[in-house]
Amino acid sequence: MATFLLLRLLRWSVGLLLILFITYAMMYYGAGDPIRMMFIQGEDFDTEDEVVMLALRKKYGLDEPFLVQFGNYMNNLFQGDWGRSIRLEVDRPVLDIVRFRLPISMQLGFAATLIGAVSGIALGVWSALYHNRLLDRLIVSSVLFINGIPIFVTLPMLQLLLVLQLKLIDVPYGWNGLFHIDAALPVAVISIGVLPIIVRQTRSAMLEVQSQQYVTTARAKGVPENAIILRHMLRPVLTPVVTTLGLIMIGLINGSLFVEYILNIPGFGLLTIEGIKKVDYPIIMAVAVVGTLIIFVSNFMVDIIYPILDPRVRAQ
Amino acid sequence: MSESLPGSKISRVVDDGSIQSGEQRSLWQDASRRFRKNRLAVCGLLVVLFFLVTAVFGPHVSPYDFLEQNIARAFQGPSEEHFLGTDDLGRDVFSRMLHGARTAALVAFFTTAISLLIGVLVGTWSGIRGGRTDEFLMWISDLIQAMPGLLLVILINTTLRRPIINAFDDLYMQTRDPFFLNTLWLDYVLVFSALALIGWPGLARLVRGQVLSINEEDYVLAARAIGASEVHIMLRHVIPNALGPLVVAVTASMGGAVTLEAGLSFLGIGIQPPNASWGSMLEEGRRYWQIFPHLMLIPAVTIGVIQVSFVFLGDGLNDALDPRRNT
Repeated sequence: MATFLLLRLLRWSVGLLLILFITYAMMYYGAGDPIRMMFIQGEDFDTEDEVVMLALRKKYGLDEPFLVQFGNYMNNLFQGDWGRSIRLEVDRPVLDIVRFRLPISMQLGFAATLIGAVSGIALGVWSALYHNRLLDRLIVSSVLFINGIPIFVTLPMLQLLLVLQLKLIDVPYGWNGLFHIDAALPVAVISIGVLPIIVRQTRSAMLEVQSQQYVTTARAKGVPENAIILRHMLRPVLTPVVTTLGLIMIGLINGSLFVEYILNIPGFGLLTIEGIKKVDYPIIMAVAVVGTLIIFVSNFMVDIIYPILDPRVRAQ
Repeated sequence: MSESLPGSKISRVVDDGSIQSGEQRSLWQDASRRFRKNRLAVCGLLVVLFFLVTAVFGPHVSPYDFLEQNIARAFQGPSEEHFLGTDDLGRDVFSRMLHGARTAALVAFFTTAISLLIGVLVGTWSGIRGGRTDEFLMWISDLIQAMPGLLLVILINTTLRRPIINAFDDLYMQTRDPFFLNTLWLDYVLVFSALALIGWPGLARLVRGQVLSINEEDYVLAARAIGASEVHIMLRHVIPNALGPLVVAVTASMGGAVTLEAGLSFLGIGIQPPNASWGSMLEEGRRYWQIFPHLMLIPAVTIGVIQVSFVFLGDGLNDALDPRRNT
C-alpha cells in the first residue's frame, strides 16, 4: 500500500514539474517581453528608454538565460517567494495576491460543492429508486439538459430572469462575503456545474448496489426501506462519488473562471484572466502552479481515500 | 475494399449479397431503430443537422454583410429589415449569427478531425505496442486529462499567437509574399490546435481500450493464425468494431469544441473581432443587457439550444450503438 502511494506521489510530482516547465517555456518563448509590453501599451510607463527597460528586466530577473530563470523560479517557489507582479498590481508579491484571491474562490467552490453534492446525491438516489419510471427519466433528462448548457449562457440568462423580469435581486457585482445576497447567484451557478457529475455517478452506483445480495437479505429480514438505503446502500454509493473529486475540481475551476469574470468577483478565476490579458509572467505561473496543484492533490487524495472507503481495493 | 485473404474471399462468395450484407445492415438497422425510439435524441439530431446546413449555406444567403456597420441604425429591435435587429455598431445581428454558425462549425470540424487523427494514431500504437511505450503515452494523456482544460487552452492561445505572427513577419520579409501579411485565420488555427491538444487524450484512451479488448477476440486470433498482417487486422477487424464508441466520442467532441470556442471567445481569448463568433457576440451583448437584452439573448439561446442538442444526440447514439449497456 505504502509503495503504491509513494509511486503515485512520484508520478504526480514528476507530472507537476513537467507541466510547470512547459508552462514556463511557453511563457518565456511565446508570450512576449512583458517589460516591452508595458511601454507599447503605455499604461504603466511612458518612456522608450532602453536603459530603463534593461534595469527593469534585471530587477525582475528577466535578463537571465531560460534555464537559469526557470531554476531560480523553482528555487524561490519552494522558499515561499513567488515573485512580484509585473503589471497587474505592480510590485505586489504574487503570494500575497494569491492569498487574497484564492480564499474567495475557495469559499464559492466549497459552498457550491456542498450544495451540489447534497442535492446531487439526493437526486441520484431518488432517480435510481424510480429506475426507468417517469421520475427517473425526468431527472436524467433534466440533468443532461443542465449539463449541456455552458455556464456563460446560464449565468447571463439567470441574470435576465431574476434581475430584469422577476426583479427579485439587484445586479450582483463584486465580492461582499459569502453570506451576502450577491454570493447567492454565483454559488448557485457553480453548483449547477458540478451537479450532473454527482447525480450520474450516484445513480449508476445506486443501480449496481440495489441488485446486491446483502440488500435482498436486508429486505428479507424486514428492514424498513429507508434504513436499507441509509445503512446498506449509501456507503458503497458514496465511494465512487468520491473518485470524481478531480472532475469536480475541474468543474469548479472552469466555473470560477466564467462566473468571476461575468460578476467581477476578485477571485482566482478573475486573476487568471487578468494575468493572461496583461501578460504578467509571475501571475500566470502562479495560476498554473495553483491550478495544477489543486487537481493533482485532489487526485492523490482520491488515491488515499479510496482504499479506506472500499476494503476490496486495499486487498489488491 | 480489396480482399487480400483467400479465406475471407471464399466466405464473401458464399455469403454473397444476402447474408453478409444482411447481417451488416441489421447491426446498423438495430442501432437506428433504437435511436429513433429516443425522441429527444432525434430532435437533437435534427437541430445539429440544421446547424451544420446553416454553417455551410447560411453565410451565402445572409441578407447583409456581417461586417457592414451603420451607426445610425444601432440598437434596433427585430424588424422587417433586420430580422433579429442590429447591434451596438448597427451591424445586422442575423447575418452575424449566420457567420458565427460557420465559425462554430469550422472549429467543431477541425478540432475533432485533428484530435481524432492524433487519438487514433496514439491509441492504436499504444494498444499494439504495450509495455513501456503504452505506459509513457498513457501517462502523458493522463497528465493532459488531469489538467483543467480551459486553463491549458487559454495558456496555449495566448502564448502561441506572438511567435506565429513573428514567424510570418519574418517569412514576409524574406519572400515579400502578401499571403504572410494576412493573419485573420490565425485565431482559428490557434483555437483548433489548442482544443485538439486537450481533446486527443480522451479519444486515444478510448481507441486503446477498444484495441486491447478486440485483440482478445477469437476472430482476431483466427485472422492472425492464417497469417493476416497487423495492419490488415487493424483495418478489417479492430477499426470497424470500434466504430460505435468512436461515433459517440466524436459527437461529444464536436459539441465540446463548440462550447469551448464560444467560451474562449466570450473571455476575449478565442476568435477576435471582426470575425464573428457566438461567444464574442454574447460578450458584446452583455454590455447592454439591461437596456437591450435581445443582443445577449439571441446568441445565448442559440448556444444553449445547440449544446443541449449535442448532448441529447450523444446520449441517444450511446444507447443505440452500445447494446451491452441496455441489457
